[in-house]
Amino acid sequence: MNKTVNINLAGTFFHIDEDAYLKLQRYLEAIKRSFTDSQGRTEILADIEARIAELFNERVQNDKQVIRLKEVDDVISIMGQPEDYLVDDEIFEDEEPHATFQRKTTTSKKLFRDTENSYIGGVASGLGHYFGIDTIWIRLVWILLIFGMGTGILLYILLWILVPEAKTTAEKIMMTGEPVTISNIEKKIKDGFETVSETVTGVAKNVSESVSNAAKNVDFKKQGNSIKSTSKNFFDTIADIIMFFFKVFAKFIGIILIIVGASALIALIIGWFSVGIANVLHIPGIEFLNVANAGNTPIWFASLLVFLAFGIPFFFLFYLGLKILINNLKSIGSIAKFTLLGLWLFAIIGLSVIGIREASEHAFNESYIEKTGLNVTKTDTLNIKMLGNDNYRDDYYRGNNFKLAYNDQGKKVIYASDIEIIVKPTTDSIATIAIEKSADGRDYEKARERAKNINYKFEIKNKTLVLDSYFTTNPENKFIDQELNITLYLPIGCVVNFNNNTKDFLNFDTYDDNIVASRHANHYLKIAEDSVLCDDCTEDEFEVDIDTPNVNINENGIEIKSGNNNLKIDENGIKAESKKVKVNMDANGINIKSEK
Amino acid sequence: MKIENTKAQMRKGVLEFCILSVLKDEDAYVAEILDTLKDAKLLVVEGTIYPLLTRLKNVGLLNYRWEESTSGPPRKYYGLTETGKLFLKELDTTWTELQNAVNIVTKQKNPSK
Repeated sequence: MNKTVNINLAGTFFHIDEDAYLKLQRYLEAIKRSFTDSQGRTEILADIEARIAELFNERVQNDKQVIRLKEVDDVISIMGQPEDYLVDDEIFEDEEPHATFQRKTTTSKKLFRDTENSYIGGVASGLGHYFGIDTIWIRLVWILLIFGMGTGILLYILLWILVPEAKTTAEKIMMTGEPVTISNIEKKIKDGFETVSETVTGVAKNVSESVSNAAKNVDFKKQGNSIKSTSKNFFDTIADIIMFFFKVFAKFIGIILIIVGASALIALIIGWFSVGIANVLHIPGIEFLNVANAGNTPIWFASLLVFLAFGIPFFFLFYLGLKILINNLKSIGSIAKFTLLGLWLFAIIGLSVIGIREASEHAFNESYIEKTGLNVTKTDTLNIKMLGNDNYRDDYYRGNNFKLAYNDQGKKVIYASDIEIIVKPTTDSIATIAIEKSADGRDYEKARERAKNINYKFEIKNKTLVLDSYFTTNPENKFIDQELNITLYLPIGCVVNFNNNTKDFLNFDTYDDNIVASRHANHYLKIAEDSVLCDDCTEDEFEVDIDTPNVNINENGIEIKSGNNNLKIDENGIKAESKKVKVNMDANGINIKSEK
Repeated sequence: MKIENTKAQMRKGVLEFCILSVLKDEDAYVAEILDTLKDAKLLVVEGTIYPLLTRLKNVGLLNYRWEESTSGPPRKYYGLTETGKLFLKELDTTWTELQNAVNIVTKQKNPSK
């Protein structure tokens, strides 16, 4: 009793015994391997299948009859062994210059997964065969790579997917790099039906046969070469060497591409997981991203887009590297390629849309001004200082970034310190403080609303103006260039003292509309018509610092060099040197040295 | 050196010429070409012919059309193209010359006559 299989051979239906089917399949597979695509493999195979179907039809009397091993053997003997299908390439040499080369590559070693000697997917043992190293070393490298940020796992999975498994005898022979001839493969397939001992002896015989054949071929070639002109021989060798280096170079580039691609992918995956996933799970610490995210795009979505936009090109780099390194790499298929391309385009478009939305949030910059009179007249002395808050920060630096924190009521707020203090003289009898809040927004209303929502406090007590060193706003308002300008209108004649901690919020220098700069902090300043008069400023405020290779002027002294001449003035005294004369003036007197 | 190899080489050399010759007068499908060649004992196994046909078609010496068959799926009928006809003519001349040359040489080598 035998199990049968139904097959469709060139459009005709056949019942076929399972063993006969397997034999036919191996036969067709072996024939397929003896052609390359450029020779019109599919077409040739279709023709052959059609002929086999015809031959089967002649042998089958009715629909119920089954094709047995005998019929398959008959057909194979009619059709011939795979090597009979080979046409001498020389006949077509001018049309197919690659044919001989392609035949050569099919006999070289190829990378397959060796599932017969595998722990997981046979990747390591396959690599072992490919590089001719014992598998244990490859496995050790995997283990080391797994500790290296999990690179090994990712690489392993990719190779598992992309490298084909050695299924047929031909592939297994190619994997181990034994001398491969078509008859060799065929013999091996046939041997599969015979006993194991016979297989072993058969293979041994085959190998020895093909080796002696090869030796003969080599002898033959050598004789031929000696007849050939030596110059051609020489150039052939040069060409071989160049080809060799080119191949090595290509493999090197492949390795670099793999490393670059893989590391970028790993970095992107880690980045995406930590940002995207953390955001979805509402892990704290990621929220500040949401606050800057004015367009209200979900963070996980934006980070996915970034991941795709950068990850897909790197994946292709990686794939290209693998392709350079491994000749018979399984293609990821055009569907996968186009899907990835589509995803990439989608990501790029998505990112541009997000970018435009984000930019449109800055389309308008509006401000909102609150003015308050201060009980300070021209005879008063006003002290001004900044006040920090323990909840937010205790330093007094101005900055245009923001942070998230909880206020006194335990509510979450954005706080920032983009505060600028400007001082203007006024002829009014009392001082005025103008708080100008400004922010960006998609339109006028949004920007103004956002500006209005800035919370800022100041206090005047006993002629001391205490300004907060920060402002806050609700996180819902997002952080979109919120700024605060404080303008102080002070009556001419009054004296003002800026505490040292206001230094960072004052301007670097005075200008037409601002009469106080940061260097004025910590001094008593009298407000004049268009400037301030500093009562206790000393000249030491004036600082010069020149530092060139030849001239060096700073608070330590002056040093000038010019060729062999040298002048140095510092707290030790004056030192002047020319090539032959040295003059030294210090607390001890004058010392002149001359060579002659 | 195996005698089988030399024989096969000899046969393969003229196979192309013979295929074109079979199609000289009328188009034929693969089984017909095979029958002619096998009757003449030029082919031992059929496999050889498929890559040859495909390649002759690919270089433009042959073309084919599909024709319905009464006993199975449609068949591929091969025929000569114009280039194929010219090619065959040239091969024909070469063959005649070669035949003469071989005749002369083999007769010379045979001292029995």
